[in-house]
Amino acid sequence: MPVELENSSPVTVSTASGEASVTSSGNQTAIQAATQKKKRNLPGMPDPDAEVIALSPKTLMTTNRFVCEICKKGFQRDQNLQLHRRGHNLPWKLRQRSSKEVRKRVYVCPEASCVHHHPSRALGDLTGIKKHFSRKHGEKKWKCDKCSKKYAVQSDWKAHSKTCGTREYRCDCGTLFSRRDSFITHRAFCDALAEESARAQTVPNSNSEEDPKLQIVATSSPPPPASSSTIISAVLPIQTPELPENPTGFRSGVNGNSSNSVFASLFASATAAGNLQPQSAAFSDLICAMACSERQTHIAPEPTSLCLSSTNGSSLFAAAQDRRQYASASQPGMSATALLQKAAQMGATATNASLLRGLGIALSGGSSGQDESLQWNHHVEVEGGSGPGLRELMMGSSSLFGPKPTTLDFLGLGMNGGGAPVGGFSALIKSMGGGLDGGPEIKPNSSLL
Amino acid sequence: MGGMIQDEGSSSVTSSPLQFFSLMSLSPNLGSPYPWLRELKSEERGLYLIHLILSCANHVAAGSLENANIGLEQISHLASPDGDTMQRIAAYFTEALADRILKAWPGLHKALNSTRISSISEGILVQRLFFELCPFLKLSYVITNQAIIEAMEGEKMVHIIDLHSAEPAQWIALLQALSARPEGPPHLRITGIHEQKEVLEQTAIRLTEEAEKLDIAFQFNPIVCKLENLDVESLRVKTGEALAISSVLQLHYILASDDELLRKKSPPTSKNSNSVHLQRVLQMNQSTLGELLEKDLINGHSPSPDSASSSPQSLAASAKMESFLTALWGLSPKLMVVTEQESNHNGSTLMERLFEALYFYAALFDCLESTLSRASMERLKVEKMLFGEEIKNIIACEGAERKERHEKLEKWIQRLDLAGFGKVPLSYYGLLQAKRLLLSYGCDGYRIKEENGCLVICWQDRSLFSVSAWRCRRYD
Repeated sequence: MPVELENSSPVTVSTASGEASVTSSGNQTAIQAATQKKKRNLPGMPDPDAEVIALSPKTLMTTNRFVCEICKKGFQRDQNLQLHRRGHNLPWKLRQRSSKEVRKRVYVCPEASCVHHHPSRALGDLTGIKKHFSRKHGEKKWKCDKCSKKYAVQSDWKAHSKTCGTREYRCDCGTLFSRRDSFITHRAFCDALAEESARAQTVPNSNSEEDPKLQIVATSSPPPPASSSTIISAVLPIQTPELPENPTGFRSGVNGNSSNSVFASLFASATAAGNLQPQSAAFSDLICAMACSERQTHIAPEPTSLCLSSTNGSSLFAAAQDRRQYASASQPGMSATALLQKAAQMGATATNASLLRGLGIALSGGSSGQDESLQWNHHVEVEGGSGPGLRELMMGSSSLFGPKPTTLDFLGLGMNGGGAPVGGFSALIKSMGGGLDGGPEIKPNSSLL
Repeated sequence: MGGMIQDEGSSSVTSSPLQFFSLMSLSPNLGSPYPWLRELKSEERGLYLIHLILSCANHVAAGSLENANIGLEQISHLASPDGDTMQRIAAYFTEALADRILKAWPGLHKALNSTRISSISEGILVQRLFFELCPFLKLSYVITNQAIIEAMEGEKMVHIIDLHSAEPAQWIALLQALSARPEGPPHLRITGIHEQKEVLEQTAIRLTEEAEKLDIAFQFNPIVCKLENLDVESLRVKTGEALAISSVLQLHYILASDDELLRKKSPPTSKNSNSVHLQRVLQMNQSTLGELLEKDLINGHSPSPDSASSSPQSLAASAKMESFLTALWGLSPKLMVVTEQESNHNGSTLMERLFEALYFYAALFDCLESTLSRASMERLKVEKMLFGEEIKNIIACEGAERKERHEKLEKWIQRLDLAGFGKVPLSYYGLLQAKRLLLSYGCDGYRIKEENGCLVICWQDRSLFSVSAWRCRRYD
């Protein structure tokens, strides 16, 4: 096979130099020393001294470049051909690695529009460039029988078939997904999911939610009529008290998808701390199950597995799951944010005298109250336009709780009137007094009471 | 105290004396002077607490310490770290105010703080609790990682600088994502900066472990130093590698060093140095505290890098910040992702900062209230050791000591722009993922919204944290 050699300028990237790799026919064969580990260049940085080889597409795509003249059997490597020739009693020659240092070869993609066409992006491996060329610029001849994915490289296809269908995701609306990223994107928009969230209840689910486990059921159930795909098995978000026997079945079936794993480990800890509503079912249970199983066993490493971030965090995780309580039902009351807004609003609207009267606040102390506010405002550099105005907040509290000279000293130093409200806000206002400026005022306020 | 209870007379407000007596009998603690306070409904008490905090803070700012003391006393009857949200907030805010007052007596202050036990592991634990209990850090990590992945598409050599490398979870997630890239993982190098060696060691172990599992060429370089003393040479950024910088709630610390510089530079207008630093004033002048505080007010505050104005002058005054950002810019990062608190806690006056902090931390306390029960020890720890300390720093400290100088995104945008960074809009996919994380979190109040290419994480309507991405802008 004619090999086109292109002597291009060396790449101007500095890296560690590599070793000899398999050379093309016509040159010496290099025998790799079994004991010596092959030093790899850093990815993306080919050896600047390497010889850049550009093969034609035809050459690249040929599987067997070395052919036996007797039986026409093809071989990918010359060495193998030589060994085969021994069987025919033909003269054979296995060459040792030559004494001089064999120059490393890097390969460029013959496709002109490809990134790897340029010598600076050359790939260091012949097999690598072959696969790349097939994948990117070749025809996809291998098809997965379970789903519709097609592959140009047989090894890719094989790898996919192993994991295809082993894991499905089902959205609450009934749609099935084999890919995690499509599942996630769908759920972000799914109407069914939105409905469920709208009906969010606050009652903590004690029984099943305490320790949700996921059981993968690899049964063959008839495909749902809605689904047109050929997905057979279904993932059921069942909470069973027992862990599945094979927790290592938790392999994500997504290949080459960077999106999911960005937050996989973060998700795991997220759901542990937050509330698990039954309707955010499948996915969060999935995550939690990841968590539980991680606690029990170490999930075998796989690039896309949903590993937990905390390897020493098993105790933390246990704590996280115990802690999971949605406390709002038992903790009524306005949130602090709401209280602040209300205080500010009261200030904004409470300039109305009738409102104040309605609240039972005597206006006799109004003037001094205003002074107080003014004094406060003097010290405050109020920034404009920051939410419920700061000024309002101060005025609000001051107008409601501010000092009234005719009222009782709050400290109770002279609290003759007792002034205990039995309840109700207005009563409270009446009895509370000023005196915050210090200086006890001992004045009975029977008039207010 | 007793007068309150003994006196009945015309004490009834709107009701008969009978009700008053029944009220008395209801209150178990007859020693308390304010039995009727117990009858306050949560909402009323909350509103009252707000009023008390504001008035007390005002007194502190005005220097009327007697009144401040009275205010603190009043609040102490209502505030509680175990109570409802407002009670907890009040507890920490008043502690901060008290601390501020106490700093005027440096001997006293030091003596009271001298036997404090601070353990590194507790600090680490609290950080981890915050990470677990609230989604903010996770969201920031998700968004940051997504931005990194997108920027590093096709890159074979990636170097990430983490300005505060305390939580390995972020990078573990990134490792997993990178290993699943269609083009395969890059050669990854992470340089982690932290003040404590032990933390970096732990992080290194965890990350190297994970990288080995995933078969990614990985290297972790620890740098033990304070962020403001960072020497960019020590980062050893190599040519040819794609650099990303991740800053999660760190940049604002640099602003503190600026303040100190400014104070030293500003010319004194009176015998005392022109500052609100009571310690210094106290040393130089033997006058009473009240007089001192008055003087402070008259002299005004020295210009500090605050957010009161957004004029170029106030920005230029932050020389340290500028030089820090310029140094980072000099590394030609492909991407820098900045997460910061979305609130202005860097105002020059106490009251400004108090207001903003009230709203901000009210929202944070609300978050915890809706996640954990009131009895939760973990919640208490986060509130006390994390939020409480931040509040204390914002309220009680001044100058270089005041480290928590949070500023709003618009100011950060200005600063970064000035330093030569160009904004990179965060991708829609990042937003989707963040929303997805919130959904799975299962707690209702969190929101995330996009604002001008940046993402803002909110609780209900209150913006809490902002995430923005930047690139090194050259020649455009």
